[in-house]
Amino acid sequence: MRNLLIISFLTLILGCTESIKPVDIAAENQILYIGNGTEPQDLDPHLVTGVPESKVLMALLEGLVIRNPDGPEPLPGVAKDWDISKDGKTYTFYLRDDALWSNGDYVTAYDFVYAWNRMLMPSLGSKYPDMLYDVVNAEEFNKGTIKDFSRVGVKALDSKTLKVSLKNPAPYFLELLCHYTTRPVHKETIESFGEMDTPGSQWTRPGNFIGNGPFTLDKWELNKVIIVKKNPSYWNSSVVQLNEIHFFPVDNASREDLMFRSGQLHVTSTVPPEKVESYQEKYPNNIQVDPFYGTYYYRFNTKKTPFDNKLVRQALSLALDRTLIVDKVTKGGQQEAFSFTPPDPDAYFPPTALEYNPDKAKDLLRQAGYEDGVDFPVVDLLYNTSEGHQKLAQAIQQMWKTSLNIDVTLTNTDWKVYLSRQSIGDFQIARAGWIGDYIDPKSFLDMMVTDRGNNQTGWSNKRYDNLLKEAANSTSQQQRFNKFYEAEKILMDEMPIIPIYTYTRIYMLHEDVKGWGNNILDSRPYQFVYLESN
Amino acid sequence: MNKQESSLFKDALIRLTTNKLSFFSLIYILLLVVVAIITPFIAPYDYAYQDLALGASAPSSDHLLGTDTLGRDLLTRMMYGSRISLMVGFLATSVALIIGVIWGTIAGFSGGKIDAIMMRIVDTLYGIPFIILIILLMVIFGRNLILLFLAIGAVEWLTMARIVRSQVLNLSKQEFILAAEAMGVSKLNIIFRHLIPNAMGPVIVYATLTVPQIMLLESFLSFLGLGVQPPLSSWGLLIRDGAVSMEEYWWLLIFPSLAFSLTLFSLNFIGDGLRDAIDPRTADN
Amino acid sequence: MLNLILQRLFTAIPVLLAVITVTFVMVHAAPGGPFDEDKAVSPEVMEKLNERYNLNAPLIEQYTDYLSGVLVGDFGPSFRYPSRTVSELIFTGLPITFELAIYSIIFALLLGIGTGIISALKKNTYLDYIPMTSAMVGICVPSIILGPLLTLIFGIWLEILPVSGWGDLSGDKILPTITLGTAYAAYCARLTRGGMLEVLNQDFIRTARAKGLSETRVVLVHALKGGLTPVIAFLGPAMAGLLAGSFVVETIFGIPGLGRFYVEAAFNRDYTMILGSSIFFSCLIIGLNLVSDLIAAAINPKLR
Repeated sequence: MRNLLIISFLTLILGCTESIKPVDIAAENQILYIGNGTEPQDLDPHLVTGVPESKVLMALLEGLVIRNPDGPEPLPGVAKDWDISKDGKTYTFYLRDDALWSNGDYVTAYDFVYAWNRMLMPSLGSKYPDMLYDVVNAEEFNKGTIKDFSRVGVKALDSKTLKVSLKNPAPYFLELLCHYTTRPVHKETIESFGEMDTPGSQWTRPGNFIGNGPFTLDKWELNKVIIVKKNPSYWNSSVVQLNEIHFFPVDNASREDLMFRSGQLHVTSTVPPEKVESYQEKYPNNIQVDPFYGTYYYRFNTKKTPFDNKLVRQALSLALDRTLIVDKVTKGGQQEAFSFTPPDPDAYFPPTALEYNPDKAKDLLRQAGYEDGVDFPVVDLLYNTSEGHQKLAQAIQQMWKTSLNIDVTLTNTDWKVYLSRQSIGDFQIARAGWIGDYIDPKSFLDMMVTDRGNNQTGWSNKRYDNLLKEAANSTSQQQRFNKFYEAEKILMDEMPIIPIYTYTRIYMLHEDVKGWGNNILDSRPYQFVYLESN
Repeated sequence: MNKQESSLFKDALIRLTTNKLSFFSLIYILLLVVVAIITPFIAPYDYAYQDLALGASAPSSDHLLGTDTLGRDLLTRMMYGSRISLMVGFLATSVALIIGVIWGTIAGFSGGKIDAIMMRIVDTLYGIPFIILIILLMVIFGRNLILLFLAIGAVEWLTMARIVRSQVLNLSKQEFILAAEAMGVSKLNIIFRHLIPNAMGPVIVYATLTVPQIMLLESFLSFLGLGVQPPLSSWGLLIRDGAVSMEEYWWLLIFPSLAFSLTLFSLNFIGDGLRDAIDPRTADN
Repeated sequence: MLNLILQRLFTAIPVLLAVITVTFVMVHAAPGGPFDEDKAVSPEVMEKLNERYNLNAPLIEQYTDYLSGVLVGDFGPSFRYPSRTVSELIFTGLPITFELAIYSIIFALLLGIGTGIISALKKNTYLDYIPMTSAMVGICVPSIILGPLLTLIFGIWLEILPVSGWGDLSGDKILPTITLGTAYAAYCARLTRGGMLEVLNQDFIRTARAKGLSETRVVLVHALKGGLTPVIAFLGPAMAGLLAGSFVVETIFGIPGLGRFYVEAAFNRDYTMILGSSIFFSCLIIGLNLVSDLIAAAINPKLR
């Protein structure tokens, strides 16, 4: 019996010894296999919020402009050209004549007005309406104080001309237009599956989905795969070389790593941290360490003692050896943060405020009345369950203990508990991370304005708030950046948050993938990607 | 009766100790328990002490079993981990064993309506998918160790009760029980002197399987991030961390896995030895 | 026997009601809501969402609304996947989990019973020690080690089996089945051995042997019936355990089964999905226990 089983088992294994690497034959068929993090919640650009969703939508829908895979300046998308008025407040977009929906309809300026109307409708419940708040009256319409959408600053002058009026100059506005929330949606499709403001209708399903991107939705099997196929009616389809992209939901880094190494994926979304070091030797051509526009930080609850004291917050920051952290703990090529906004060498460079100085830290703690950590209450550090957060939290716990004699307990909770405890202020120190939605200091600094939803520190500073307002109304980019710089200096002195490191995007990329480009927001238009065997 | 009983017990003990494997297993487990108890006094390092600059290092004279990625001594962490793992395993099994045996015996022996009601209750509890229950419990009340093994124990007794019951049903139809009943031996006497000892074989086999099962369940919960709170650790947590980096730092997987598996091995061998030892029928041979 | 079935079906109702109530209370007591996101949602939007999913109503009303929905087979929309209903999610995941569990239990039974019988017959020989030691290895190696280890050996080093997926690439069902089934094979082996030894010592076997029946006949016809009783008692719970425990294997191998949906739903606070899958798992477990009892009764008439 047993022998029989062993024999049949062996034959079973030997029976399938032929090569089964999908990537080996992918170049021939131009099929790209992507590891895409968690399963997308939906594919409605006005409702989703996650990175995996944004990757799929990059293939399915195209906005007025598209992200440049190799540089900061956006490329023309549906708009072939645009004018910006002298005061930076009026944008006129000229749409290309050959832009089509995947069912053959023309993409018009009215489609954009419809989409932005839908996105801002309070009844839809979009989670990203602030992406368009720079548009005149958009915020008022979204908050319900204005009911008439025609008063919002977006107009179709004719079917191919779109005029957008902003309430203040926003040099980053074209950046915003690369974001999926500002992309058009197909009116007839949406309204044949529900009302304009019906969330969660069936229009996002394969077969129903009408898009204007380089690819169309072919298959969506939950927790298994999303397949998109080349869209022949896409205006620029002649440059599209890929026939299909398969997005695999892989939320487990170890499994994704195994899938890559066994030839099931071309691109991964991450690399397990403990592998980064050895892979730089083993797979130097595959491992990619790209700079990324995000900051990992800890936030204090400034409403609670002892963190209502600025000196304590500063002391805790000074006691962190960030170099040791990025070299020995996170190990993924991250850069130690020296401010909140990640540096952008081409434009805004934040003040370099953060340092490691345990002696000064001790001194500040003494001034705050806790000499050698005596009488300092046991404080709690909150983070959501994850290998990386845990490791870092333990290292930091140790650093505070050795240099300041402060006892910190660690509380790891699941994601939802972590979120809800922060939003109701039930924490002392909490781990946090922020990825800019667009490349501009505003996408970081605006968050710390008094009572913003993601401030969550209870911190409020009049001067800081004013500086941000002044920055918004600045006429020149340099003046804006100066205001931001000044605001950030206040932030780094007050320290309601202590930045720890600047993120990197680490992932594996197969040698056959070409035209991938380099982009610090990690979003790449797939029309320029192709496969070529070496 | 008394005399016979004690000699039976003595026999069992002798048979257990003559079975070499079981004997060594017993020694190993006892040693482990002793080490676990005195760990705070003999551990080479503090369990939270980190040497970040060192990072993960292979076994050396300073760190006999190497260090983890934060430069903490693995031996120390395994010693502290053993406290948690053993406690969860043994306490939860005891909870399960006590409830299960009593419940199953009463149900099987009483028969009729009482049996039906008692087993319906077991079925009811079976119907509740316990993994979600434990996850929800851990989410709501945080990572509480006592709660963890109470919850596991309260779930694991169900199977125990079923096995005991089916065993008792089998036995109670057999001649010697019927004879005892006919002779007017009291019910309690029958249950404790005849039914439970005779039903013990499979129960002990199952109990020895339950301890590792619970230790495994703990490792599953660790896998989901619902294990013990760091910097404390359990073997399940250590193994899980080791499995992630097994290609880079083999010692992080090998040593905790060996300790874990050896413990489970030993528990099983002891169970086997006990089973052979207390089974009155093997005594006849 | 029909009586048993009817009786069980009848008692299933309070069981399910209890499951729904307990789960409902726990789900709503859990901190964190289904719509909490990384990017803080404005109070207005949160209000809209709660309204849409009937979360503003008093709990009692939500409870009765839910129950009356379930009665007509409506498990509501998923909170996590807004364009999908709970029924859709369950029927996507259930067949896959079920398939995985069935393969694993078949693997476990074939390997376990075969090994168990041989060990019992060759008690205290190498044919006993080696399989039983292997069985213990099987029990002692958790799937969180076994899965990654098997994928490393067969997927990465030997490159003969896929490391992920279910029904996409040839042979991708082998590793998950082995990973999930091994521990249960080991339990089966041990239980079979224990049961067989018990039975082989009993008088009727001795009588049968004394009568000069062939050893094969004694073992396979007379002893096996009784000897398998513990295995069969274990079968229902084992199957339930396989179903509920499949989430680990499903996570390791990326299998889109219900186990994974279920655990994810708990973490995402997808209330309706948690409730819906609890109900389904309960039904399955009740059914499996019933089947296991029926088989036990058929094999061993004393249990009726």
